Amino acid sequence: MMRSNDRRLEILAYGSFIIAVLVIPLLADVFWLNRIAKYLVFGMLGVAVALSWGYAGVLNLGQGLFFGMGAYMMAMSLKLQSPASVQPDGALLPDFMVWNAAPGASQHLCCISPGSWLWIPFQSQGFGIAMALMLPMLCSFLLGSSIFRLRISGVFVSIITLALVLLARLLLIDAQPLTNGFNGLTDLGWLTIGGYEFDPYAVATYYLVAVAVIVVLLATRFLVATRAGLILQATRDDANRARYLGFNVAAYQVFFFSVSGLIAGMAGMLYVIASEFASPTFLDLSFSISMVIWAAVGGRNSLLGACIGAILINVIEATASESPMLSEAWKAIIGLIFILVVLYLPRGLTGLARDIAARLGERPATSPKEQTQ
Amino acid sequence: MTEAALTIDGLGVSFAGFKAVDTFSMVVPQGDVRVLLGANGAGKTTLMDLICGKTRASEGKVFLFDQDITNLQEYRIARAGLARKFQIPSVFRELTVRENLTIACTAMHGVMGNMRLTSTAQEQDRFDQVVETVGVGASLDRIAGALSHGETQWLELGLLMGQGARVILLDEPTAGMTHAETMKTAALIRRMQGTHTLLVVEHDMAFVREIATRITVMHLGRFLAEGTVAQIEQNQQVRDAYLGNGGIR
Repeated sequence: MMRSNDRRLEILAYGSFIIAVLVIPLLADVFWLNRIAKYLVFGMLGVAVALSWGYAGVLNLGQGLFFGMGAYMMAMSLKLQSPASVQPDGALLPDFMVWNAAPGASQHLCCISPGSWLWIPFQSQGFGIAMALMLPMLCSFLLGSSIFRLRISGVFVSIITLALVLLARLLLIDAQPLTNGFNGLTDLGWLTIGGYEFDPYAVATYYLVAVAVIVVLLATRFLVATRAGLILQATRDDANRARYLGFNVAAYQVFFFSVSGLIAGMAGMLYVIASEFASPTFLDLSFSISMVIWAAVGGRNSLLGACIGAILINVIEATASESPMLSEAWKAIIGLIFILVVLYLPRGLTGLARDIAARLGERPATSPKEQTQ
Repeated sequence: MTEAALTIDGLGVSFAGFKAVDTFSMVVPQGDVRVLLGANGAGKTTLMDLICGKTRASEGKVFLFDQDITNLQEYRIARAGLARKFQIPSVFRELTVRENLTIACTAMHGVMGNMRLTSTAQEQDRFDQVVETVGVGASLDRIAGALSHGETQWLELGLLMGQGARVILLDEPTAGMTHAETMKTAALIRRMQGTHTLLVVEHDMAFVREIATRITVMHLGRFLAEGTVAQIEQNQQVRDAYLGNGGIR
């Protein structure tokens, strides 16, 4: 009884969310539409965090690393699409490389600066998209393989991932001739697929992001509903028990950690398409921690909850920051919300919604009993 | 002559020079419920850790039927058909009883093989069988973390049956149980006998008399004696070994 109620509530929640996401373009102006597209991307990050934290029990404090990888891979490709990158002789060269080039250096991607040849394949947008998806997945696979095979768990995984994202951020900034350092990659071109240009402020771009988020949400929901997803939760609850039942715990952790990395990378890619820039701030610690807060507030044991948590917090933040007083206090407010949620709503808003629904669902069940008494 | 289900041959391990298990050998025939007795520190739990792969043996061999399982990865030993129950009950506490048993009854262990939503007919059969044997039909939708201590222990026994193990190691399965619960556990173990071979560490002699086919006694990491319950209770060596530690309780 409880279970079928839960199930109905969940289908209702997913259905309402999908419909809401699809009808927003009818209600919002272009400015807000672009903003909401970015928040949907954050919602996707919420899904990635819920998958690894809620379902696998792996608190990754460096999810920004995979987001950043996806973002930079896409941005490198879009940078070369930008009209500003076309040199007088028709060659493609990012503007910052021209500005930073040593006098008399070759004006070509191959050798304008050390390592600039790495940019050559990014002249193909398909390559950029492929790398934006593959690189984060590959890196999370390699990272996961080394962590989980050594049976590192709990807070140690968090510390390792946290250290890695900071290290990557340093390297990224340090590789100024290649990445434009602190300034990041700006003045990007538009994503072009089959001759169609995705203007970040167009409804089509919104739908590109929206459909991607919906597909990722549903696919991940399917993944955790499979037997493999159930076994993953078992490894979270008691890794030893799962091991002595015959499951290679590390294989499950690595697989889902890689999926989580892939989703984060995809989010980074979409964010660049919608926002037209990539910057080292994506690898800031505060950003990775924000993702965890979104998931905690929404409910880390629920993919949809974490997704909505991310969107909700960002919408509130955007609204609050329009008032100068609130924009200053925002960081304190979000910190307070996080503490309150951890103390009083450990299952986040999703847990709250389930409790309310369970209470409402009880009423019709008890009333016939009262009549018979 | 029945086949040997578990053969331990000269097994040993030392921790910083201390031999916790010292050239220990025994053979458990298929279908036996073998009880492992010994005073505290005799090496019973360490022996189980060596068999199931939790601790690596520095000498000797362990065979499960004909297969050498010495120092394999835990999950490989489990797949070979050996299950282990720890002293502290371990089940998947945030999942329901149904989900716990479904996981245990999963025949395929790989990630890709489990990209599916339903059980195979074979898995479903085993699931039904375990639910019936353990008698958890009424609490399938309860969260495992909400079960009582006794129920948790029985659920864990159900998990071991579900995984299709042929040899099961139980470390103090009645620890912390009331008398009634202990007797129910004994009945459950007798039901498992025949289809499973069991090696049980236990101190409660009333319970041991209920379940044991034979007893093996360990002392200071070594083999001390083996025999039926009556033989062991009469054995002078065993008495001496125990008297030094306060006798059999």
